[in-house]
Amino acid sequence: MAKMGMVFDLKACIGCNACVIACKQENSLPDGVFFTKTLSEEYGVFPMANRVYIPTICNHCEDAPCEKVCPSGATYTREDGIVMVDDDKCIGCSSCSVACPYDQRTQMDAENFLKGLFGTGEITPFEEQGYGRYTPGTVTKCDFCSQRVDVGLDPACVVTCPTNARIFGDLDNPDSAPAKMIRERHGRPPMPEKNTKPKVFYVN
Amino acid sequence: MAITDKVFSGDTLRVGYRFQRHWDNSMAYAFFFAEVGGGLFFVSLLLNSVMGMVLGLIMVSTGKPYFHLAHMGVPTKAWRAMLRPDRSWISRGLLGLGAMIGTGVLYVIALSFGDQLGIAADSGLVWLLKVSSAVFCLVVMSYQGFAMSHSSAISIWNSAIMPMSSLLYSLTIGVAVAMVIVSDDQANSLAGTQLLLFMGLGIMHLMFLHGGWHGSPGAKTSVELLLQTLYTKWYLGLVIAIGIILPALLLWAMPGSKVVAIIAAASTLAGFLAWRILIFKIGVYEPIMSMNPFHTAN
Amino acid sequence: MATQDTKKEPTANSLKSGRWVASSCKMCLHSCGNMIHVTDEGVINKIEGNPTNPSNNGKLCPKGNSAIMRHYDPARFKQPMRRTNPERGCGVDPMWEPISWEEALDTTAREIKKSMDEDPRKILPSIEDFQKFNIWAWPLSFGNFNFYQSGGTMCGGAYHPMNGFIHSAFGCANDAKYCNYWINNGTGDGFSSHLHAAAQSNWVAKARTERNMRVVSIEPRLSIGSAKAEEWVPIRPATDRHFAMGMAHVLIKEGLCDYKFLKRDTNAPFLVGEDGYFIRDENRQCYMWDAKNNCAKLWNDESIGEIALEGNYEVNGKPCRTGFQIYKDILEECSPEAMSEVTTVPAETIARIAREFSTAASIGATMKMEDGRTLPLRPAAYNYYRGAQGHKHGAQTNQSFKLVNILIGNIDAPGGHMGVVLDTKEVDINHCVPGESGMLTPTPHQLGPTPPFAYPPNTYHLMDYFPLGVHPPHFNLLVHDDPTKWGVEFTPDVIVNCHSNPVWAIQGPRNKWFDFLRSMRFIVCVDLIPTEMTDWADIILPSSDVLETWNCTMIEPPHTEGQSFRQPAVPPLHDTKSEEEIFYEISERMGILEAYNDVVNKTLGFEGHPELMLELDKKYTDKEIAERKGKLWNGEDIDWYMERGHSVTEKRLDKWYRPWEGSRLHFYIEDFLVERDELKQKMESADVPFRDEWEWDDYQPLPTPVLDPVHEEPPEYDLYAITFKDIQLNFGESLSNPWIKDIVYRDPVHTGLLLNPKTAAAQGVEKGSIVLVESPYGRLYGRINITEGMHPETIGVSNALSRMKSQDSGVLPAGGHFNDMLPYDLRNTDAASGQPETVCKIKLTKLDDWPDFLKEGRTVYDQIEEYENAKGKGGQH
Repeated sequence: MAKMGMVFDLKACIGCNACVIACKQENSLPDGVFFTKTLSEEYGVFPMANRVYIPTICNHCEDAPCEKVCPSGATYTREDGIVMVDDDKCIGCSSCSVACPYDQRTQMDAENFLKGLFGTGEITPFEEQGYGRYTPGTVTKCDFCSQRVDVGLDPACVVTCPTNARIFGDLDNPDSAPAKMIRERHGRPPMPEKNTKPKVFYVN
Repeated sequence: MAITDKVFSGDTLRVGYRFQRHWDNSMAYAFFFAEVGGGLFFVSLLLNSVMGMVLGLIMVSTGKPYFHLAHMGVPTKAWRAMLRPDRSWISRGLLGLGAMIGTGVLYVIALSFGDQLGIAADSGLVWLLKVSSAVFCLVVMSYQGFAMSHSSAISIWNSAIMPMSSLLYSLTIGVAVAMVIVSDDQANSLAGTQLLLFMGLGIMHLMFLHGGWHGSPGAKTSVELLLQTLYTKWYLGLVIAIGIILPALLLWAMPGSKVVAIIAAASTLAGFLAWRILIFKIGVYEPIMSMNPFHTAN
Repeated sequence: MATQDTKKEPTANSLKSGRWVASSCKMCLHSCGNMIHVTDEGVINKIEGNPTNPSNNGKLCPKGNSAIMRHYDPARFKQPMRRTNPERGCGVDPMWEPISWEEALDTTAREIKKSMDEDPRKILPSIEDFQKFNIWAWPLSFGNFNFYQSGGTMCGGAYHPMNGFIHSAFGCANDAKYCNYWINNGTGDGFSSHLHAAAQSNWVAKARTERNMRVVSIEPRLSIGSAKAEEWVPIRPATDRHFAMGMAHVLIKEGLCDYKFLKRDTNAPFLVGEDGYFIRDENRQCYMWDAKNNCAKLWNDESIGEIALEGNYEVNGKPCRTGFQIYKDILEECSPEAMSEVTTVPAETIARIAREFSTAASIGATMKMEDGRTLPLRPAAYNYYRGAQGHKHGAQTNQSFKLVNILIGNIDAPGGHMGVVLDTKEVDINHCVPGESGMLTPTPHQLGPTPPFAYPPNTYHLMDYFPLGVHPPHFNLLVHDDPTKWGVEFTPDVIVNCHSNPVWAIQGPRNKWFDFLRSMRFIVCVDLIPTEMTDWADIILPSSDVLETWNCTMIEPPHTEGQSFRQPAVPPLHDTKSEEEIFYEISERMGILEAYNDVVNKTLGFEGHPELMLELDKKYTDKEIAERKGKLWNGEDIDWYMERGHSVTEKRLDKWYRPWEGSRLHFYIEDFLVERDELKQKMESADVPFRDEWEWDDYQPLPTPVLDPVHEEPPEYDLYAITFKDIQLNFGESLSNPWIKDIVYRDPVHTGLLLNPKTAAAQGVEKGSIVLVESPYGRLYGRINITEGMHPETIGVSNALSRMKSQDSGVLPAGGHFNDMLPYDLRNTDAASGQPETVCKIKLTKLDDWPDFLKEGRTVYDQIEEYENAKGKGGQH
């Protein structure tokens, strides 16, 4: 049994958000919906000012609070550790949204699909072929491109990242790239104080 | 760091505090109806006020589900919400709500039409209905607080104050409304209890503010939002002054007056509704700042 | 729809039943390899990088990831159209009327031909398709050298000629493969912009994470590159040359140079007379000084005992100095302390970076290459681009950067500063040609031939007087203001526009440019979607997009060579044509088909390859051109390319490292003086009336610390203003793309005019203040954002806050345009290169509210406000 996880290399990340758009492409996300985001934060005072780029994504927590609070059983964890949402079961109560410390849940409002990416009220053939996977009203999130993982591919955001700042693999396998990186570069999970056991780590 | 210097990132790509926005006013109204209706039913049960019980049942069986369904993304599958009582407070609450309505309605029927139906008011069955509906009602009165305190995401919610708030407010509102509909004698006898409850609410608010202020950055930010922003007038004015201090003073000064009871109930309800809305609005997610090796905690 | 079903029918776009097409990107002018996924239903639903392409290694930048949204943009031009509203203007509805291709092409050709028959100079081309030089070169078919497009001065007006002088190449880059100390000055190379953003940032990230390459970034704004750098050196705008000269001062003063390189591989030891010209013998051979024998000897005299790099001498009675000595003398006044005054960079920082740079260069070290050569290993390099070079004294500025590199001997050395050819076919036709006195032949004309001197001028932008530079398109406006003054005897009345948005992209005030456009009799635009420019068109000729057409090209790849191949993933969605088809049809109707084919043969290098040569009387499709370009590169036919999508390989070592081996590089560029004096003499002979106004001091064989005139504006303009792009906005059109818009206007650097908090306090403004920004030349409205990442003397204006209203309702207008605030005059243009100043001095005025014209309709600030306040489920927040 594997434990799929991701490492973000903060030294490499240039905050270009190519990952974000690759995700929008792969998952046919409507306008304003993100399954991953690369944030930026400034710190320090001129001339010692600096900015850090911080990719964020569903952490696929081992102790996932979203799964615990889900009243319908829609949120579940696959054998390989990927936290999934079964939108046939989801009732759109948003309990998971307020339970996720990382604010990684998004409700798919019906109007998201109607206004279209160009905001014209009409949808493009790209959207038409893609929106069917979503049930309006349900609450969704990143699933590490589980279908790609099933056929041995990396998630779309990982594949496109120009600086290799996203490293994906089985954290249980000590020889996997992310496991090695976590070990050698002292990977830290986000907000450990929330006790969710994230499977996403950051190295600097 | 002053609240005005804090970064609220909205829907941008900037690290900062992000407002809780998934549970909207609709959810606040649903919570409001559950706790008002639950409290009224519970107090009326103790006072044997059928009218109060009926009013309470109506509130929890109409207002609450209506606003829940209005908030819910897929209302046609709402029934699925009861499937995970093993881990979800939402499921537990929903089951509790159903059970409370079921047992409560049966109890009211038994009380009102016991004679025609040949059920003795002091029978074991009626007693069982009364106790079980009271227990389920307590679940309804408090589970929303547990659902909130269960969230480690919104730090200000993540404390025992939340179920305490639900239960205390529920009882206070129950008593306040009951004082309007029950007999003057009964109402008079409740004034003392109500003053104690108001005192309890006051202490609860102080604990809430104190705990938040000394809590995580996110919790402190929520308290700052209540005390130092455009929410302040609503919090101090409506929730505290009109919702607690005014009715307490009125009841203390003129405990026997029906008019005062009506005014007190109205202002308590208004204060409580404001509280229910504000507690959703001031909820914030902690910024993912701990990733920045140079960030300064605030 | 549900998870259980997914095992049967994937919902992830890349996994749906369909096919992958190997092609290449055109979301910027470069050409990363990509893979396009087309579903069985014929819908393009995923584009990924092509992992077999060693340039971008399967990576794509955010723009490359967004191509689908260009393809399916509902605003795309769907058929040829004719304007019915006589009123033209940005944001004014042309009231398009669909017409047939026949009619559109007939009308277009007739209108262009009318001008051509009267005077071909009346045609104003604005053709910006950088991946198709066969289209770019079309105006040469009727001998037209006009130029109304931004490519050139708004990218690297002085940069490209200087690369031609030093490396005989179009671009330049640092060698990420071996570099350990990487200086970026006013460029995002390796982080956000410049050459092949996805590819170069991939290479640089590897160097940084695997080798701990140190990055020093010098610029007024904390850009992505500065944020990632080990050291950000904030600098006053337009003083980058002074920083570089301060470094050069230290390198020379402290003996930190690669003297062997300077003596052997450059003309630095050549003796220069007092007139600035080399001392020559009767056969025009140059002299060096033999320090051992204490006499001058010809450069190729094998009896030279020891080449003197420095010194004042006398040859044949003429006093002279080495070129190196001249620069050393100039640098006397460029101490780090003196340059600190100009740049605001602490003197010790300038000196320290110079020392670190030299140390990291490991002068003396060599490396055995796989091709058997032993080369100098110089893993330190100084790169720069638009932000640093786009100033009045552009030529001197570029040279000052090159000289920092030359001093440590890293030119085209492993780990060093590299020349990058424009189109890799140049590699094999040997772009490095030995020239006079053993010096490399300089090739400053990297974009093809320039027009010969003429007075009256034959071009509307005065290109007749820039023998060394890139076209200065802003001079179209200068001449338009007063054609008589410049002796221009024709008035352009037709614009042929193709994938170009000059009314947005060229500096000078918009209202004057609008006036310029109103003076046109006929404007045709070949484009995909509405832009500020197409709002002025009389006819729209809709082109097919990058996912529907054929091409074969390679634009300045930093580490690779070969061809990126483009093939249609799907047939055209609309009634559109390729650029080739359009221009062949127009050419045939204009009667210039043969001339055009001749131009294409020359431009694409088919000449000399009989099997590839275009027959002059035939029209060719994009596919036929692409096929020939592929064959020209490696002889492979189109099926080979269709399968692979490219023929890209890592650069051959002998073409990448020191391809000029055996020639001397130009440390001292005498040609500037030669060209200056020739031009002067021609202007004298032709009695050119404005010759005294010409900025003759701009032609210098070595950089000087002269200040750019931007520093001498009236004192009430108390701040500098700079504009910038980032990786989401590189080159060309970006913001019409909803995915790009979705990330750009959420990024704090693109959501307001950037000001340092101390400056804001001093100016009495704060975050959210609405301000009027005024330069001596124009104005802009905007809203203030506060950041510690700005030099305190500078306001930063994102390019995303400079759009105008147009028929593309997806592109939100901002409060004016940065380019309005830039000058377009001689004083602020480098006479040696045509490069105009691209920063300005401004004054800020705080306003109570937006001006009325910005209150109508939605602006970009309304969009930003929505994101910042996160309206959505739950109201306010």
